[in-house]
Amino acid sequence: MQNRVILVFFCLSLVLSGTSALAQKETPPEGGEPKDFTLPQKQSFVLNNGLKATLVPYGVLPKVYVRIIVRVGNVNEAADEVWLADLTGDLMKEGTQSLGAEEVAQQAAAMGGEVNISVGQDRTNISGDVLSESGPDLVKLLGNIIQNPLLPESEVERLKTDMVRQLSIEKTQPQSIALEKFRKVLYADHPYGRVFPTEEMLKKYTHDRVAAFYKANFGAARTQVFISGRFDARKMESAVRQTFRDWDAGPEAITKTPSPKSERVIYLIDRPGAAQSTLYIGLPVIDPSHEDYVSLQVTNSLLGGSFTSRITSNIREDKGYTYSPYSQVSSRYRDAYWLQVADVTTGVTGPSLREIFYEIDRLQDEPPSAAELNGIQNYLAGTFVLRNSSRTGIVGQLAFLDLHGLDDSYLTEYVKNVHAVTPAEVRETGRKYIRDDEMTIVIAGDKEKIYRQISNYGRVVE
Amino acid sequence: MRLTKLICLFAVPAFLLVSSCARQESKFSVPVAYHKLDNGLKVALSQDKTAPTVVVAVYYNIGFRIEPKDRTGFAHLFEHMMFQGSANLGKMEFIRLVQENGGVLNGSTRFDFTNYFEILPAHKLETALWAEADRMRGLAITQDNLTNQQGVVKNEVKVNVINQPYGGFPWLDMPQYANENWFNSHNFYGDLNDLDAATLEDVQSFFLTYYAPNNAAVAIVGDFEPVEALALVKKYFGDLPSAERQEPADISEPRQENEKKFNKTDKLANRPALAFAYHMPERNSPEYYAMGLLDQILVQGEDSKLHQALVKKAGLTGGVNGGINLLGNMFNYNGPMLWTASLFHDSNVTADSIMAVVDEVIEEVRTNQVDQKTLKRALVKMRSGLYDDLGGFFGAGRADLLASFALFDDNPARINSLEDEFRKVTAELILQTAQEHLRPGNRTVLELKAGS
Repeated sequence: MQNRVILVFFCLSLVLSGTSALAQKETPPEGGEPKDFTLPQKQSFVLNNGLKATLVPYGVLPKVYVRIIVRVGNVNEAADEVWLADLTGDLMKEGTQSLGAEEVAQQAAAMGGEVNISVGQDRTNISGDVLSESGPDLVKLLGNIIQNPLLPESEVERLKTDMVRQLSIEKTQPQSIALEKFRKVLYADHPYGRVFPTEEMLKKYTHDRVAAFYKANFGAARTQVFISGRFDARKMESAVRQTFRDWDAGPEAITKTPSPKSERVIYLIDRPGAAQSTLYIGLPVIDPSHEDYVSLQVTNSLLGGSFTSRITSNIREDKGYTYSPYSQVSSRYRDAYWLQVADVTTGVTGPSLREIFYEIDRLQDEPPSAAELNGIQNYLAGTFVLRNSSRTGIVGQLAFLDLHGLDDSYLTEYVKNVHAVTPAEVRETGRKYIRDDEMTIVIAGDKEKIYRQISNYGRVVE
Repeated sequence: MRLTKLICLFAVPAFLLVSSCARQESKFSVPVAYHKLDNGLKVALSQDKTAPTVVVAVYYNIGFRIEPKDRTGFAHLFEHMMFQGSANLGKMEFIRLVQENGGVLNGSTRFDFTNYFEILPAHKLETALWAEADRMRGLAITQDNLTNQQGVVKNEVKVNVINQPYGGFPWLDMPQYANENWFNSHNFYGDLNDLDAATLEDVQSFFLTYYAPNNAAVAIVGDFEPVEALALVKKYFGDLPSAERQEPADISEPRQENEKKFNKTDKLANRPALAFAYHMPERNSPEYYAMGLLDQILVQGEDSKLHQALVKKAGLTGGVNGGINLLGNMFNYNGPMLWTASLFHDSNVTADSIMAVVDEVIEEVRTNQVDQKTLKRALVKMRSGLYDDLGGFFGAGRADLLASFALFDDNPARINSLEDEFRKVTAELILQTAQEHLRPGNRTVLELKAGS
């Protein structure tokens, strides 16, 4: 006990006494020899109706993950159909031609999992994660749900009521309303610009519209089955073939590429009394199929996309303005935007903007040091291993390639390409793509307290 | 039978043998080596060569329950201070060291422990142990560091609670209403004034009291050789002095005899919400495992009874969320705990009418034994989730259980007996457990009223 007291005060005085003491610090041990990492092997096949399947044996846990992706999402909705894709997904869980909804839930549970249906901008995911011995049964159950959904009219009103409630709740969250505005500004009338429906819109949806949406958008030709985990490959392949061989090819996938726009304008959403201002700052950038994409990822990680990044170090660890700031490159099919998000204390909304733009400008003014860049490159190389080291992660990576039309070299060359980025290229990437004079700035906060803090940073529109 | 399965899982690459054992019911267990250093540090090692990565987790036996009474939120604020500098790693240097070596890290504060973990490329094991030992040896922080993190933590409370509709509901709220003992019923995130009041002396004293090797466990999971790993732990942690053990605080809760009802108004919310909670049976008792299965039967998944009754049949809500220990799982705590469920609903439906449906479901499991099919399904769901705890999240889930069981039970190998404990649960025990622990008198109901 006594020793410890002395030790701690000694440490404090070390810090206070300046650089001479710092020189005596121990150097962290390097560790041992790096171990090889190889991407897990996969096996793919295509059925006559165009359905694709990929199997990746992985790990020792007795579990298997099946994710079936259909190329249909909110992008396929018309202007008066926002969330119709989501309602379709919800109704698909309400039973099949041969099984009631409760039976579907009970069967999945008896395998050790659940049926999950999630609808995104470009894709609908129907997935389950079960004990290994139930893998083939899960393929059959999910296949039944996708091909023969009952879409019962009796459940439509209840699901719509749930959606109205969910909409109402989401629209009270500052992050949700800031995102809605940000996307509206970037994409205008493109489906990517429609985050939320109106309540009136939801109330007009009918069973017939859901059934029509299903018919227009589901079919084998736009579907891919991914399986990962521990399983009997022969049995799983045969389950996929048997389950899906008679499904119609169905309609071709429809692609709608947006032309996003951004200019330096501040969109202010008033939330009287808000303790924090929610900042969404960004602009359209290149999508994953572009040759500069890896360089943009490196640049983003260094600027705001990791804990040690410049913006996080500045506004969190130096200034204490915020808890969880982050930047990201968010992508959809042939589309992406760069975005910095932060919830900052109301009184320091202006200073937060100042520091964020200071860091963006600094990135464009001078290349990072080789040491700083190398640290970020190592971080991306290490997290690449982690992203490819779980059954859901592996499928996520392969589904990413599939959506964006990338070949395997994106993964096999990724670490090499990350390390090939030079300090000068980071500066160039910043100048070329992270252009602060074109950034859309959305702020949800207390107008009365923040208006004067922010008005120097762009034209304010309410 | 068991031996065959073990060989199937470890001795031969799994995919070669699956066809011969896939017909059998899967079972999963993991290697555990357990040591205690002379200074009291508990060390649990579990090799897993699935990926060339390693998890280093350091758990301190200090959770937010037993933080000082005039310093609510201090255990969590202190967690932040552990990243602000030690003798050989200045502010941000710990985080930078992990990231620059290709790793990720985090720390969190829970009911009964504060944890710190890194997931790194396997060959960086020594680097991580050196760094964790450096901060267990002592902190080197300034008033500026403290002031900075007071700002960060206050922003954390704002973004998660104060500026967020339904913020803190029910995970932060329910323990404050359902519990009687201050240790279990105070605001764990902390009052902003208490956070502001914290001093460097508080930080020092808290560190000296709780952050000693004899109040900690190190768990290592991943691709490493146990003998080498143990030698490295001894090398870096072996000479740390132990601290005087604290008298354990009395965190017990009295038996609740009468139902409690509360409501709170959330001016940011626009739909009402409802939560209800029951006090759990004593940890590790047969009833505790039965309650784990009751959780599966009542609220986990769309086949669960509450989901079917409230969502599908009555159409009162879009979903019911719940579980044991909303800040973790049913394994990683050590004291009184709640089983909680919650839902959002519309203003034209009263809380009483929802609770009437809940009562029907609960009274059914208090009156009749669950059928074998339901019991079997609950067990399968439990096992499936347990396997992910044992192997998911790159080994961090396994490290969490190993460290928790080392700290609380002095027996990390318990992780391999959990499955059998659940298998022992009978329909009769479930009925008895429901009769005692799902009593109306054991319940707290919290209504969230929307708007000001």
